[in-house]
Amino acid sequence: MTVQPLLSVIDLGISTIQDPRVLVNNVSFHINPGEAVGVVGESGSGKTLSALSILGLLPRGVGVVSGEILFNGKNLLTLKPEELRQIRGNEIAMIYQDPMTALNPVMKLGKQLLEVIASHDGIDSESDNRVRALLSEVGIPDVNRAMESYAHEFSGGMRQRIMIAMALLLSPKLLIADEPTTALDVTIQQQILALVSDARKKRDMSMLWITHDLGVVANLVNRLNVMYAGRIVESGTVEEIFRRPKHPYTAGLLSSLPTSTGTNRERLTSISGVPEKPWLVGNSCGFAARCSRVQSRCHNEIPLSVAKDDSTVACFFPIGSK
Amino acid sequence: MNLEIKNVEKLYKIVSTQTIIHALNGVDITLPRGKTLGIVGESGCGKSTLARLVTGLESPNRGSILWNGLPIHDVNKGSFSTKKSAIQLVFQDPYSSLNPRQRIGDAISEILSVHKLAEKEMINSRVSELLALVGLANDLKHRYPHQLSGGQRQRVSIARALAAEPSLLVLDEPVSALDVSVRAEVMNLLIDLREKLNLTYIFISHDLAMIRYISDLVAVMYLGKIVEFGQWEQVINNPKHPYTQALIQAMPDHTVIGNPESLAKTLEGEVPDPVNLPTGCAFHLRCIKATPACTFATQTLIEISSQHLVACMEVQA
Repeated sequence: MTVQPLLSVIDLGISTIQDPRVLVNNVSFHINPGEAVGVVGESGSGKTLSALSILGLLPRGVGVVSGEILFNGKNLLTLKPEELRQIRGNEIAMIYQDPMTALNPVMKLGKQLLEVIASHDGIDSESDNRVRALLSEVGIPDVNRAMESYAHEFSGGMRQRIMIAMALLLSPKLLIADEPTTALDVTIQQQILALVSDARKKRDMSMLWITHDLGVVANLVNRLNVMYAGRIVESGTVEEIFRRPKHPYTAGLLSSLPTSTGTNRERLTSISGVPEKPWLVGNSCGFAARCSRVQSRCHNEIPLSVAKDDSTVACFFPIGSK
Repeated sequence: MNLEIKNVEKLYKIVSTQTIIHALNGVDITLPRGKTLGIVGESGCGKSTLARLVTGLESPNRGSILWNGLPIHDVNKGSFSTKKSAIQLVFQDPYSSLNPRQRIGDAISEILSVHKLAEKEMINSRVSELLALVGLANDLKHRYPHQLSGGQRQRVSIARALAAEPSLLVLDEPVSALDVSVRAEVMNLLIDLREKLNLTYIFISHDLAMIRYISDLVAVMYLGKIVEFGQWEQVINNPKHPYTQALIQAMPDHTVIGNPESLAKTLEGEVPDPVNLPTGCAFHLRCIKATPACTFATQTLIEISSQHLVACMEVQA
């Protein structure tokens, strides 16, 4: 029996509205209940836009032009704003790279967190305890004082914890995390990763984690989508992608990263050139100009994702094939 | 022929709050010419302050910095002691270090003419030479910074630094702002330039993988002090200081996969405020090996094996 996915993104296309420029094309992936899925890509690859579109939070001037986003079977793209607002926060919550985008700088934290409950569930006698319990779960040392403090009085790591508490407040089924640890120091990043990982397992919550750092997701998620120039070029289990990458981009990226320990200092194999803009790719593979396995077909045709077992690859000449 | 950083201290006074930030609290380093020193540490550890002092952008409150036996900043003369700028700095963000309204060629030739590094009629060919040196096409001369990719822009910053024919290059997070797939190329370029021009590097980064890849010597900094120093193999593969060990464990590693236990916390708490430094060892509040003595005794860097120095009583004992 197959599991009904919690979220299915089907053939998603995102583009600027005026002077149409394709930003995301043909993106399909799913998240099962309780599963953690990662999206890895460089700046401009479309990873953040794909995530923002799930919650209807695309920036002005950018819109979804094709596809479906099914959450529990409901297409989020056709919901009325009021219906989507009920899902946002209640069922799908999001955390960002910069917590100050999510926190109100002139409102005390206690009030701010209670407001989240008030606007969705309604306040009752238990609300205050709920907020305090969560703040202490995410590792805020002095909860009483924190409730009376403003966001700027905390360090970056503490603000990130507070934002996580806010996201967990309504027990969402899906947490979307857009590079929440990128701006943090590594030891603090480690603390936050451990915190999110524990909180997720405790609640059996699903998660979509967006990052440019392959090292961060290696031990955090079950499956991974690799994005390049607006498309998913490869997807599969973490094990498959890291051990047996099939797309030349994934393989190139992995071999261009130095390891943080060991004695091997052989010259890094680099990928020449720069990432292509999605709207300039046209009728070809977006990676063709930088690819070491490129052939003439790659310049004249778009490789579509081909699924095999639990993984997909969008390449005419994937690694491991003849 | 080397760089000597002797007991350097740097304070910043915050006028509005009447407080003092202790950015560097006694740093000693000797770097032989032609070697690369990697400095790793988290934000606020003083690594960028050190970069500014070594390049003479600021002067230390205490201690001295000598390059080839001469002070970087001659306090008595109020000027740099070397005519040509023997030391140059490359910044993290090539977006903000280039003038958006200046063509690439002009950005480089400006340095040559201001410092009188080339005859007027030679400037153009020297610019071409510098662009070739960093692997950029000659026709990029006529472009503006916004027309270049991040990697190309960082190459321009490196070319500008090299225009002054430096012998010491201070690289402050030179690849951190670049796309992951572009970083390896710039790292390889830096290594090639080091060989070709016999350069000495100070390579500052929070990314231990990059430090490991390029450094001969590695210094680990915490709250304005060096806590561990030595040959790269020693510091990275045989770390002794509890902070270095925690830092290495916390580094995301793409070769360790599917092991959720690796996410276990390695270090509690956060870096203390540099305004109110803790007494004793600055790390004792977060250290798993801390003893009561660590709360008051100052730690000094002591050689525990050949060329491997650690500032921790517990390790030295």
